[in-house]
Amino acid sequence: MRIQTLSPIVALLSVLLIPLVSHAGDIRIGLTEALTGPASQYGVPIQNGFLLARDEINAKGGVNGDKIVLIEEDERGKKEEAINVYKKLIFQDKVLMIFGPTLSNSMFAAGPIANLAKVVAFGTSNTASGITDIGPYIFRSSPMEADVVPVTLRTAIKHLNIHKVGIIYGNDDAFTKSGYDVFRKSLEELHIPVVDTETYAKGDVDFKAQLTKLKAANPDAIICPCLSEEGANILLQSRALGIKQSFIGGNGFNSPKLVEIAKAAAEGTIVGSPWFDGNPSVQNQHFIAAYRKKYGTDPNQFSAQGYDALFIVAEALKKIKLTGQLEQDRQALRDVLPHIQIDGATGKFAFRPAPEHAIKPGGYDANQTPFVYIVKNGKFVLLK
Amino acid sequence: MDWSSWWATYSTLVLSIGVYGLMALSISLTLSCGLLSLANAAFMGIGAYVSAVSTLQYGLSFPSALLLGTLAPSSVALVIGVPVLRLSGVYLAMATLGFGEVVRVVALNLDITGGPLGLNGIPLFTEWWHVLLSVVAVLLLLQALRHSRIGRAFEAIREDETAARLMGIATHRIKLLAFVLGAAIAGLAGGLNAHYTFTLSPGNFGFENAVDILTMAILGGIQGLLGPLLGGAIITLLPELLRSLQEFRMAANGVILIAVVLFLPHGIWAPRRLARWLKKRSKHADA
Repeated sequence: MRIQTLSPIVALLSVLLIPLVSHAGDIRIGLTEALTGPASQYGVPIQNGFLLARDEINAKGGVNGDKIVLIEEDERGKKEEAINVYKKLIFQDKVLMIFGPTLSNSMFAAGPIANLAKVVAFGTSNTASGITDIGPYIFRSSPMEADVVPVTLRTAIKHLNIHKVGIIYGNDDAFTKSGYDVFRKSLEELHIPVVDTETYAKGDVDFKAQLTKLKAANPDAIICPCLSEEGANILLQSRALGIKQSFIGGNGFNSPKLVEIAKAAAEGTIVGSPWFDGNPSVQNQHFIAAYRKKYGTDPNQFSAQGYDALFIVAEALKKIKLTGQLEQDRQALRDVLPHIQIDGATGKFAFRPAPEHAIKPGGYDANQTPFVYIVKNGKFVLLK
Repeated sequence: MDWSSWWATYSTLVLSIGVYGLMALSISLTLSCGLLSLANAAFMGIGAYVSAVSTLQYGLSFPSALLLGTLAPSSVALVIGVPVLRLSGVYLAMATLGFGEVVRVVALNLDITGGPLGLNGIPLFTEWWHVLLSVVAVLLLLQALRHSRIGRAFEAIREDETAARLMGIATHRIKLLAFVLGAAIAGLAGGLNAHYTFTLSPGNFGFENAVDILTMAILGGIQGLLGPLLGGAIITLLPELLRSLQEFRMAANGVILIAVVLFLPHGIWAPRRLARWLKKRSKHADA
């Protein structure tokens, strides 16, 4: 009698408990990006790329029969929140590893937490130098500007007759400032003199004063390590002022938005980037088509890097046997990850150890050849 | 969940509650003598940068770095306070907001602050007891101040500055004292904050932060010392507590703030309202 009355309660309880106890075969991975706030323009496409990759991997039966579960958290592009999210994912959700955060500054704040806890932190959009100096558990699939810029410059010099350049950049933003520093250094190495350097602040809309000065200095090309919003405006206003020279952009120029806003003014602009939407490889064309189908918009570089990152980790997971012992599994992933190579939407990908500083062991940077392309008739065309 | 894993997950949050409690106390100090100053975020930034540079580049010990981080913003406050405190009301708010922008731009352009890249790899020095000790020390100081001649002078100035001056209170000096003390507390909070977040960048101490700090004090209530602490805790905790709402999180955050301000105009912790309410209840009980 008593057992009979109890059994429906037990049944009910067990039904309620099922969603709480995850399946033994689930691989729990943290994903933290800036989904609200100004940095969400990068965070949302990255998350989209990850979710697409997750669905594709799980539809094919997951990794060695285990499904990938992404635990998504918003870090709002703020350092304190990035730290809080990292701690929650590591100590409470007990994830195997973490992807994100979006901004380099957030990674500088949260990365040390993962490194101390011996958990892999994998950035897909952090391009600032020094990120992987945090420690041996820090990985990133985003090539540093320092890798992309010299290739861009050399290709541009080969195609255009460049003997002297002018520069315009935003001096109050970590991304554009570090882009500028890298351009400056590569120009010195290539012995190209800079005839004029102009600056602006984030959010400026009028660049005519700076552009007039640049025009008077008459460089052979103008270097613009800017984000696409300001970049498009700079292009439009420079053409209105009669500047005919080509622009050379950094990572921030690599957005379909640039051509969309600047239209004809973008003609001749040269950009270097780890991803190229016109790359005819099967993986890339499949990625673009699948992304369009799922989200109804065009992917950008950031979504492609997020998409590839999950495949990189899936490849690593195939090579290890998960024991259920969290610390052991986290370490096993960390040990196999540096050797993974894939051919993804961004092309061939491999890791390389960060250059050693002092005695501290570093993490792993992306070892990838960037694409350099030029805008011709409103389309990005590869420059060889 | 056992204690050690709870602490591992939430230690930063707990430290942030303490640090932002200090910030709310620092702004409530200037508010308590009728000054609407929005420079506290900037003072926090100065304190954070000075103490981080001291430990990172000069290898100073944590206590001396904190001391420098407290002294630097208060000396800046002393210098700018003299001209700026001639203003009052919204004009003071505008001037102090402008000062905050100056600090941000200076941090962006100096080499020692790392420019827009900020300072990275700041050592992890802040322990829970540093924060607790600071909060208790500041509370005791402010409590002693409230019951002293100076505290009563603050109140007199807030109620009616002209009358206070006629009574022989050196209003300008008293206001300067509140401004400088507030800056010192903010600097201390900044120094503590820098040594558990690993990184600093100029954007951390901008307009948004200045408004956040003001919201903490107003939300908690500035009639007592518990109010600002409570406000700081709520504003820090709320986004984390609402995490399950995902994309509606910040919207819910805003709605809660609006509701509190609408229905509890003197903040959550308002001793006078509490006293009134208790009186009413005892009257009912008598009848």
